[in-house]
Amino acid sequence: MYTELHARSAFSFLEGASIPEELAGACAEREMGAMALLDRDGVYGAPRFHLTAKKLSLKAHIGAEVTSSAGWRYPLLVKSRAGYQNLCRLITHMKLHAKKGQGQIAAEDLAGRAAGLICLTGGEEGPLTHALMQGGITQATQSVRQLCDLFGRENVYIELQRHFCREEEARNQAAREIARKLSLPLVATNAVCHALPHQREVLDVFTCIRHHRNLNTAGRLLARNSERHLKSPAEMERLFSDLPEAIANTQVLSSRLQFTLKDLGYQFPKYPVPEGQSEMQFLRERTHEGMIAHYGSRDDASNGRACKQIEGELALIEKLDLSGYFLIVWDIVRFCREHNILVQGRGSAANSAVCYALGITAVDPIGMDLLFERFLSEERGEWPDIDLDLPSGDQRERAIQYVYDRYGKLGAAMTANVITFRGRSAAREIGKALSIEPETLNRLAALVGAWEYKDANDTMARQFNDAGLDARHPLIRNFFDLCVLVQDLPRHLGQHSGGMVVCQGQLDSIVPLEPATMPGRVVVQWDKEDCTDMGIVKVDLLGLGMMAVLEDSLKIIKQDYGEEIDLGRLPANDHVVYDTLQKADTVGMFQIESRAQMACLPRLRPTCFYDIVVQVAIIRPGPIVGKMVHPYLKRRQKRELPNCLHPSLEPVLARTLGVPLFQEQLLRMAMIAAGFTGGEAEELRRAFGFKRSEARMKEVEVKLRRGMERNHIDSETQEKIVQSIVSFALYGFPESHAASFALLAYASAYLKCHYLPAFTAALLNNQPMGFYHPATIVKDAQRHGLKVTPIDVTRSDWPCKLEKNGQDFALRLGMRYVKGLREEAAQEIVRQRGLRPLDSIDSLKLRVPSLQKSELTALAEIGALNFIEPPCGLSPAEPMNRRKARSHRREALWQVERAARSEGPLLREYGELGFNPESLSDALWPGASSPLLPMTAEERLVADFRGTGMTVGPHPMAYHRRELQKEGIRSATELHSLPDGTSVRIAGSVIARQRPGTAKGFVFLSLEDETGIANAIITPQLFERDHVVVVHHQFLVIEGTLQNQENVVSVKAQSVRPLNITRAETTSHDFH
Amino acid sequence: MSIFDLALFMAFASIYVPEFSIQAVVRAEPALRQRAIALIEGCPPLERVVARNEAAARMGLDLGMTKSQAAQFPSLEIRPRSRIEEQSTHAALLDLGWSVSPRVEDTAIDSIVVDLAGLACLFGSEEAIAHLLAKRASDLGLIVQIAVSGNLEVALHAARGFAGITVIPPGEESKRLAALPIQVFWPPAEILETLERWGVRTCEALAKLPLLQLSERLGQQGVQLHQWARGASARSMILAEPTLGFEEEMALEDAVEELESLAFLLGRLLDQLCARLTARSLGACALRLRFCLDASSDGESVPSPNRNACLNEKKSYEKILTLPVPMRDSKMLLKLLRLHLQSDPPSAPIVHIVLAADPAPPRVTQEGLFLPSAPDPEKLELTIARLANVVGNSHVGSPRLIDSYRPDAFDMNRFLSPHDAPRIHQKGIRPKIIGVGNREPVVAFRVFRPAPRATVTLREGRPVHISFPTMHGEVAAASGPWRTSGEWWREDAWHREEWDVEIRRPSISNTNAIENSPSTEPQKGLYRIYYDLMRQAWFVAGMYD
Repeated sequence: MYTELHARSAFSFLEGASIPEELAGACAEREMGAMALLDRDGVYGAPRFHLTAKKLSLKAHIGAEVTSSAGWRYPLLVKSRAGYQNLCRLITHMKLHAKKGQGQIAAEDLAGRAAGLICLTGGEEGPLTHALMQGGITQATQSVRQLCDLFGRENVYIELQRHFCREEEARNQAAREIARKLSLPLVATNAVCHALPHQREVLDVFTCIRHHRNLNTAGRLLARNSERHLKSPAEMERLFSDLPEAIANTQVLSSRLQFTLKDLGYQFPKYPVPEGQSEMQFLRERTHEGMIAHYGSRDDASNGRACKQIEGELALIEKLDLSGYFLIVWDIVRFCREHNILVQGRGSAANSAVCYALGITAVDPIGMDLLFERFLSEERGEWPDIDLDLPSGDQRERAIQYVYDRYGKLGAAMTANVITFRGRSAAREIGKALSIEPETLNRLAALVGAWEYKDANDTMARQFNDAGLDARHPLIRNFFDLCVLVQDLPRHLGQHSGGMVVCQGQLDSIVPLEPATMPGRVVVQWDKEDCTDMGIVKVDLLGLGMMAVLEDSLKIIKQDYGEEIDLGRLPANDHVVYDTLQKADTVGMFQIESRAQMACLPRLRPTCFYDIVVQVAIIRPGPIVGKMVHPYLKRRQKRELPNCLHPSLEPVLARTLGVPLFQEQLLRMAMIAAGFTGGEAEELRRAFGFKRSEARMKEVEVKLRRGMERNHIDSETQEKIVQSIVSFALYGFPESHAASFALLAYASAYLKCHYLPAFTAALLNNQPMGFYHPATIVKDAQRHGLKVTPIDVTRSDWPCKLEKNGQDFALRLGMRYVKGLREEAAQEIVRQRGLRPLDSIDSLKLRVPSLQKSELTALAEIGALNFIEPPCGLSPAEPMNRRKARSHRREALWQVERAARSEGPLLREYGELGFNPESLSDALWPGASSPLLPMTAEERLVADFRGTGMTVGPHPMAYHRRELQKEGIRSATELHSLPDGTSVRIAGSVIARQRPGTAKGFVFLSLEDETGIANAIITPQLFERDHVVVVHHQFLVIEGTLQNQENVVSVKAQSVRPLNITRAETTSHDFH
Repeated sequence: MSIFDLALFMAFASIYVPEFSIQAVVRAEPALRQRAIALIEGCPPLERVVARNEAAARMGLDLGMTKSQAAQFPSLEIRPRSRIEEQSTHAALLDLGWSVSPRVEDTAIDSIVVDLAGLACLFGSEEAIAHLLAKRASDLGLIVQIAVSGNLEVALHAARGFAGITVIPPGEESKRLAALPIQVFWPPAEILETLERWGVRTCEALAKLPLLQLSERLGQQGVQLHQWARGASARSMILAEPTLGFEEEMALEDAVEELESLAFLLGRLLDQLCARLTARSLGACALRLRFCLDASSDGESVPSPNRNACLNEKKSYEKILTLPVPMRDSKMLLKLLRLHLQSDPPSAPIVHIVLAADPAPPRVTQEGLFLPSAPDPEKLELTIARLANVVGNSHVGSPRLIDSYRPDAFDMNRFLSPHDAPRIHQKGIRPKIIGVGNREPVVAFRVFRPAPRATVTLREGRPVHISFPTMHGEVAAASGPWRTSGEWWREDAWHREEWDVEIRRPSISNTNAIENSPSTEPQKGLYRIYYDLMRQAWFVAGMYD
């Protein structure tokens, strides 16, 4: 019986065309009991291969093809755990001593690292072929002898491959001769690169990508035929019918490979505790300290419930030996607190009272009655998952570096992020391989990022047709087929944004490590999911833009207002915040600013913190797909009675009025209705979750029904319960997570309502983030009374900042918004300005010589040079004249054009002789003002949007309001006062376009004018008819019927047409 | 003013053809004149619109749209852009200039300038000459914009900026140019961007800028633009050589069918061409032959006497004869043309001949005294042409291996003169050592071209009997199959299974084979046979010697 012992998956990055799961599936189909995966220079695909093989009852042998410095590759198979550890160390050694993506090993590197490994002589790229090519059979024999010396005679097999190729057969003859001479066993392999024959096309395309060629120029780099697919044992036996021992030896060798990934030997690091104390005791003490701080003393009667819960959790933590993990996370949080880095645990950790007591999370799970089992249960046998949100940027990097420092380079690493072929980038690479010319490729690539919703007519042919391409053309057809085939295949290894793994001892013996692109970082070869699947504990240190906004806001408030704000002690029921939320005035607020959230807020009318938790969770695919939004809102508005499906579920569903909104509720429903344990309930959630499998779902459903049967729940109710679980489990949002986010939402709302200048400045300094472009954020702030002043080199810093404006503050835009201006140049301007004022454009150029002409032009064009003071020492009349003349943008542009030209040799010499170049510049000042006319308002608008992407002046619509009124066009605010059903005409600049997958083809547009934002709904029919206008025009006029219900206002469009009022290039956030 | 005075006056007329690419096409197909037209360019299926007329623009057609998008406009006429027509239109434009004056400047493909000095005696006032030019342009199928001015640059820019005929009297240049957009100067993109930023969009605004300060900012280019805007720039004409295109053509009253008659006519044309080339001390590096064929010969239509219309009809014949060295020996050229026409004759009688020569300086070489004498390139070319006439054009040249696994993949390169040879690099060919070590091949393989079909009997998937025209017999030994397949993305993908077989003839000679003499028939042989999976048939690739 044949076993394939040399297979590459797509994790050989561009050298294999099937994912490990596919290979394992094909192996099972062909009734092969085992298979070995040997990816190039890594074990990237090993966890996925191992897990799939486990499910299919296959034996997954692990190995790798390791690149040698002599140009060949050692095909190595892992025999034992020691062998696996050696392989990991070998690869780590090779990777960490070379640039990213490179590396090779010398024969000396194998010394001391070859134990437990079996070496094959390989195929076309193996040591035997290499030696044969170099020096014929003599050198080849010598080379095999060296392998025997390195790995031991009993660990070297002479590999034979047959891909129906003459040259290969000649090599096989030589290999057999060597095997006979050295008495080494023969072993047959097929050097598999793809599971199925037709995937050879993908392999050919990958070859082109790897060698930067296209299919027409790759020549013999491409595959000679399609024989490198996984063949059945019968096929292989037929192929090697003259050499039965080569087939039989595959079985023998397979039986020698005892190691599987089950045997990984991972240990979580010990947390260093004071002498005489165990980790558990130490954790218990820290938890109790926290408990007293949060819930009061032990004797306090109100503390009883918390105490009981915490004791229960601690007992489980002790039982599962997780105290070290909690302490390590606590340690990171403590580091952040000590260094004034905002940190907050999110996800299911917020269900744990221990996490709350340790300060890891900010949500009180006792107060909110959250379900601990969602976080941790005995049955699951998994590490708990704690994610920490940190301010994105430098602060998060500090926390990451702390973990590296604490556990050492080989003790901690980032998890990998496998970058797969997806979307436009994949399309581009395939297009290049097919030699499609760039412009057409742009069109084809644009099609890939099509709108999220696909209607029945949205066929590929139609999409291609819309883009002006003929879908029947063979080139286009090949392109499309290949795009589908490569979808989701691994492309290369990236770094996960925040996932870190730590290990007791040497992480490099568990999984190979590689250098990351970012200096000072190493990554493991497995992604987050693989690490979890392999039982390696990870901590996610995630960067959250809003955390950075909050942190920056607090700094600005402290600096400019002189007030210290503690986010943990914000007033709980601030009526200004709730009034604002009820009015859906939420631009810039965390999680509740989108159009859909805004449409829900006036109906939900939040009045307490828990309402915000619900608000965060309700506008999600889960509740929307499960049709739970409307029942909840109706019940909230008392237009429908709450219905908890079954009386026993009332305690669970009562607070969400009988509508299951959270994953925890789903778990509890299973626990109460069907008598599931916490662990079983979590198992149910997973069975119906993202990685759902039909068989597993059926199994769990039967168990659920049986449990409900036992609890005497009638079949009709059973059906309802099952349905609500099934439809919801896929997208459900954990309540704890919603609560963590709700805290941030409340904090952002509070800061926006009470410290608008500081919050807006922080928000603008942390772009891009959120739902809106900075232009919209600025306009919203201005409508709320904030004075926003333009960029001015004499005042602006790189970030936006506050300036005193009477009793209040004004926001000064920062130079970070000047398109094309480098930060270092801007910082130098600020530094020079600090030394003494900038008195002319010439002196600006002379004092900041690194400023390029394009940067000066950009500054002049947006008016940032309008306020430079004239040079001193001139007659009083002259500066005034100049000031007057230079106070417009064209004057600055006129000056810049001269100042930016490099001086000739004469003037350069003049400067070298020691004359002050500034005085020289002044001496040469032509004395006449600019002959250019000032920009018109329209020109300024165009320049503002081109140079900064926004304007602090009037909204483009404001200039045309009178004419628009004559046309009967209403402003956004007017709509609120009009009755439902009125025929209206609205206009504005499109700031967002959405076509959500859940909206049956409807398109939602947000139009902004000088008074606010109006929402329009485009029906699928109208979208079909005026697709180009809706998608491509930035200013639109929409006519339709006003829908004004429960303070939610939108216009259901009947017609849409472009509005040509400005050439300003405004932008919109389009969600395709 | 007397005629004598007028003759002394210096004046230039600039003729500008707006929408030049479109007009070039319309000129050949006048029926399109009133229609909305788009010109496309690019590789199918990805052609895009590169030019459109006013009517098409009004319909909403944008430049850059694809052919499929353009095809959605129902009344739009889509034509491929024709560089040849553009060249020919440009030649016609020059002819237009030379029709009134020998002093013509070839300014751009769509613009020329004609020196009108001294023409008053012949044609009257400048305005009259402008009208005459417009009329003649119209006869040539062109709608032009003409401007006359004493200043060449002013005439040039005014022609680009004003429709119809514009005569600018001396002293009014600046005033008349004032309203024109600065784009008429075709300034460099960077300067245009700066001026746009300054809000300077017209000649008037540009002319108002102080010159010294402008030169500080935009350098000499700025100064020149300023002078143009004020109408103050003066320069001399750069005279165009009267003819650089060598083309002769002949419309035939009766269609010619026989090669001999045709050769006679071609000989006349070649004599004329060679005489012109000789006068200019040039030779021809290529001959371009274009025939208009008699479409009525297969009942399609009556031939049009108009050359342009004729050449644009589908039935035309074109041939380009590239020469290894510039030649001007009409007899030699005629022989070459005859041989090429013999190997690839036109499909119908000829009604119109256009023969053009690409001029090039003649060959001047001094061979080394001690170098072996190579054949005369002209004679060698003749010999190669004779060979090509016998074996076909694609079978003459030096073979070049193609970097591909496709069996027998090679192409033919044109023979190159020894001077060019050292510069040849076979890029992309990766010498690949095949087989074990560096063993010398011990057998040669003789390829059968074309591969004969074979009848093969298989047993358990292996060939056991084979028959093809020169051999039949039992397969004594077979090695294989060797599989190759590739170029799956092309229409002519290949996929075959090869066998190396030893064939033995049956002992009783069955001499029904094609060979004339049974004694010469091989009794056994080593052959390479293959099964073509695309064509579903067996073939013999060749034999091992």
